Amino acid sequence: MLTEEAKKAIKEVMKRYKTKRAAVMPALTIAQDDVREVTAEDMLEIAEMLEIQPVIVNEVAKFYTMYNVQRKVGKYHIEVCHNISCNLLQAERIIAHIENRLNIKVGGTTTDGKFTLSTAECLGSCGTAPMMQINDTYYEDLTETKVNDILATLKSRD
Amino acid sequence: MAKLTINGKFIEVKDGTLILEAAKQAGIEIPTFCYQADLSRIGACRICLVEIAGQRKLMTSCTTPVMEGMEVNSESAAVQESRKGVIEFFLSNHSLDCPVCDKAGECELQDMVYKHGPRKGSFKEKKIRFHEKDYPLSPVIIKNSNRCVKCTRCIRVCRDTVGVGVLGSMGRGAHQEETSFLRTYLDCDHCGNCIEVCPVGCFMRRPYRYKSRPWDLKSADTICPYCATGCTSKIQERDGEVVRSISKMGKGVNNELLCARGRFGFDFISNEDRLTTPLMRKDGELVPVSWDEALESLAVNLGAFAPERIGGIASARLTNEDLFLFQDLMRSAFKTNNIDSSARWNRDSVSAFIKATGINEGGVSLRGALEGVDAIFIVGTQISEENPVTDYLLRRSFDSRWVFTMIASARAMKLDSCAQLTMRHDPATENALLTAIAKVIFDDAGEKAAGLDCAELFKDLSLKDLSDESGVDQSDIGAAARKLFGSESATFFAGTEFLRFPDGLRGFSLLKELLTALGKKITVVPVLDRCNQRGAWDMGVHPAFGPGYEPVENPGLGNAGMLEAADARQLDALYIAGVDILNNYPDFETAEKALSKLQYLVVNELFLTGTAAMADLVLPVASFAEKAGTMTNQEGRVQSMSPLMKPPGEARTAHDIFSALLKAHDFEFNVAKPKGTFEKIQANVKSYADVELLNERSDKSLTGESGNTVSSSILEKEADEEDQTPAYTAEDLPLTLITGNHLFYSGMLSSRSATLGSLLKEAIVEINDTDAKKYDLKSGDHVTVTGRYHEGRYAVRVKNGSRKGVAFIPENFKTGPVNRFFRKGEWSQKVRLKKVDA
Ligand code: SF4
Ligand code: SF4
Ligand code: SF4
Ligand code: FES
Ligand code: FES
Repeated sequence: MLTEEAKKAIKEVMKRYKTKRAAVMPALTIAQDDVREVTAEDMLEIAEMLEIQPVIVNEVAKFYTMYNVQRKVGKYHIEVCHNISCNLLQAERIIAHIENRLNIKVGGTTTDGKFTLSTAECLGSCGTAPMMQINDTYYEDLTETKVNDILATLKSRD
Repeated sequence: MAKLTINGKFIEVKDGTLILEAAKQAGIEIPTFCYQADLSRIGACRICLVEIAGQRKLMTSCTTPVMEGMEVNSESAAVQESRKGVIEFFLSNHSLDCPVCDKAGECELQDMVYKHGPRKGSFKEKKIRFHEKDYPLSPVIIKNSNRCVKCTRCIRVCRDTVGVGVLGSMGRGAHQEETSFLRTYLDCDHCGNCIEVCPVGCFMRRPYRYKSRPWDLKSADTICPYCATGCTSKIQERDGEVVRSISKMGKGVNNELLCARGRFGFDFISNEDRLTTPLMRKDGELVPVSWDEALESLAVNLGAFAPERIGGIASARLTNEDLFLFQDLMRSAFKTNNIDSSARWNRDSVSAFIKATGINEGGVSLRGALEGVDAIFIVGTQISEENPVTDYLLRRSFDSRWVFTMIASARAMKLDSCAQLTMRHDPATENALLTAIAKVIFDDAGEKAAGLDCAELFKDLSLKDLSDESGVDQSDIGAAARKLFGSESATFFAGTEFLRFPDGLRGFSLLKELLTALGKKITVVPVLDRCNQRGAWDMGVHPAFGPGYEPVENPGLGNAGMLEAADARQLDALYIAGVDILNNYPDFETAEKALSKLQYLVVNELFLTGTAAMADLVLPVASFAEKAGTMTNQEGRVQSMSPLMKPPGEARTAHDIFSALLKAHDFEFNVAKPKGTFEKIQANVKSYADVELLNERSDKSLTGESGNTVSSSILEKEADEEDQTPAYTAEDLPLTLITGNHLFYSGMLSSRSATLGSLLKEAIVEINDTDAKKYDLKSGDHVTVTGRYHEGRYAVRVKNGSRKGVAFIPENFKTGPVNRFFRKGEWSQKVRLKKVDA
């Protein structure tokens, strides 16, 4: 369910575009903000506001990995790139390492709801591979030690 | 033209031709997946790659147009290598479950692997599986995404051609899945075109599931028995049951397209309620009798009445051959002109419609009518629901060529989204609207129009009055007028609303004549809702004209006249071939009263309908799947159909029955197969003279001119009596009830199809969003609809964008038949809605 605030924000953002449907991405971002999830109801409501078929909202939401469709992620969403460049530089090891440290598998969320681990395709930062993105921040040239530090810092934050 | 070589073969093709299509012309086949003629081109699957001399990389032949001097190679080593790679890639996640897949045996992927494919794959990774079990998407569609090749043909046909757009690609890369919103049940046309275009076994028919292998099916080419779009299809049976109806690219008007009715509505054929023996009333009961007894009693009984006391009504679903014999039987054996081809349309409305749309002057082709035309005006038809594939074809044509399109109707329709101007008028005000448009054109034309015959007519007309009457803004009327005036040519689509409300034909003819007088080229495509309505008229199943629209000397009574005469005991016997009058005639009470007063009623039927149950003799007949013959679609295309199987039990074809009766009357009569009758038709109906039924399947439109015109000035009703029961005032009954076909219901057949029944389970009443708000109703609520003569319970459907104050109940619901609301053949009534608890 979109909050009244979210609806207002979506209406506002719609004004920026020539067609209503053009606002589908910002609308999804607004829906997801705070709650870290895009629900079925959200997509239906967005479709109604933008006067498009719900399936179109669904397509866009599923195309971009940044939208968590019907999937509640932890406070920190870790997305490790495992595309070619990163993989050549041992992304798989980084992933396994995080799995061990957090005691979850890819796709899982820690019991305290703090971390979710996902893999991602190329995040456009091949020059600094291997890399990962946590929420909106990039962490690059990863090593296992570096990952430990990052996780420790985040754990100490609430 | 461009000259090029493909695999060393020299060819010359039109500029802009795709390499793929050029190859096809040269007899060279290039494999494809995502390409389909008539769908948008995406060049996504890469199976059609070819080598072009001078190009570093292989190119997709499905998106690359030819160029002068091109040297194409579609079988070079590099091409073959890459093709193998692409197929291996498709198979990398494909579930390879051919043994349990409905598509096996006619699967494009299977064929392709067999022909080109690598015999071994090199992928070691685990296959991506989208789901364990196949999941249903609608009562008629079931989906398996594990077999998908991601060609997106399903999505494109649904979005671009059907205009519904409820399918999408979810996710990307190998994880991409084409499905509905979160895989939920579809609320769509249920046309199954997504099934038809899917090259593999992802989209499957639920009713056909696990029923057969394609090679075990017996097929026959036929014509859809529902609307007059005249889609051709192949129906297929296994062990005596019709299990499937399929359509194919390159065949018929419809190519691969069908609507829900044409694709899934055939199961009435195997409905166990089909009649299998003649039934005769003895001591008040209908009991089985032999054909000999039945036919003899029919000939004797009908023959006993004076010609003017006999009448016949035949269904517009019968073949041309059936209908020709029927009118011959009524006219030559029983000497009466009391014949009609529908229980819905008034005799004189039909004559006026034929004249106004020029049906008697020869055929039009849909494609031709759209080619090069400047404007399209769709009026008096609910095209999206009544003639779904006509809607699809129109939308498809807009893809390749945009034409300014206007739609005038009371209800909103899917095609609105393709139109530049939509006018929502009050029911039955087509005359006011079209006259208003004509008036603006006349005024704008000034000098040019001043001398015309109709000039006088426009003098006293007030645009404001006409606009008020129709409920359409003057600005919209002006816009439509200016567009038509500014065009050199325009095509009108005019449909059954003009038969329901024939007054509209006045405005229609006026507008058409004015535009023609101003030098515009006007084409009219009639849009009809019964498969052989046009054929029925061509065959002369009408009280005022015979075959080929030849006026008869003493015009007889139409359906309304016959019922009225029966009611007054001036008509004693009726032969009804396949019409359920009690459910169709817009005045149930009168129809019932009239039929009960008859001394002799004979009915040819598939089922024991309400009408058949009142008969003295019921003859079981063959359905469309069980007979040969021809039908003429709304364009005037004469198409033939062949029988797939034998009729059930002792049922016979209508053709056999009419032949036997003619023979009994006239020993000279040469009983022939439908083919022989068709030759007779050709001898009698001028415009059919040079129709060739090539391979039993013809695409040829009627082009000859019949030269005969139908009597004009025919807008008076056959029976015009004042109604004396104004029990309610306007405030009591604020909505205007109208009717028409529903996407899943059209005619008696649809009500006997369990599959179509599953698509819409209860009788509905449709209102627009404003009225819904006003009466605090939403889709799914239940209401009682109260009119002056009837009250019934319906589920509400809200349709955005329809005219306010309009309630619509489709024809042909078995529960809640709409004709009970009407009286005296009038197709609209005032009603009110009241919410009831579920
Ligand atoms: S059945 Fe027709 S309308 Fe429904 S999803 Fe398939 S193509 Fe689209
Ligand atoms: S479901 Fe069928 S038509 Fe649709 S993309 Fe997959 S293979 Fe193509
Ligand atoms: S459009 Fe008409 S003719 Fe074509 S499949 Fe549908 S009902 Fe049949
Ligand atoms: S491959 Fe990882 S950022 Fe490009
Ligand atoms: S058929 Fe050409 S790319 Fe798919």
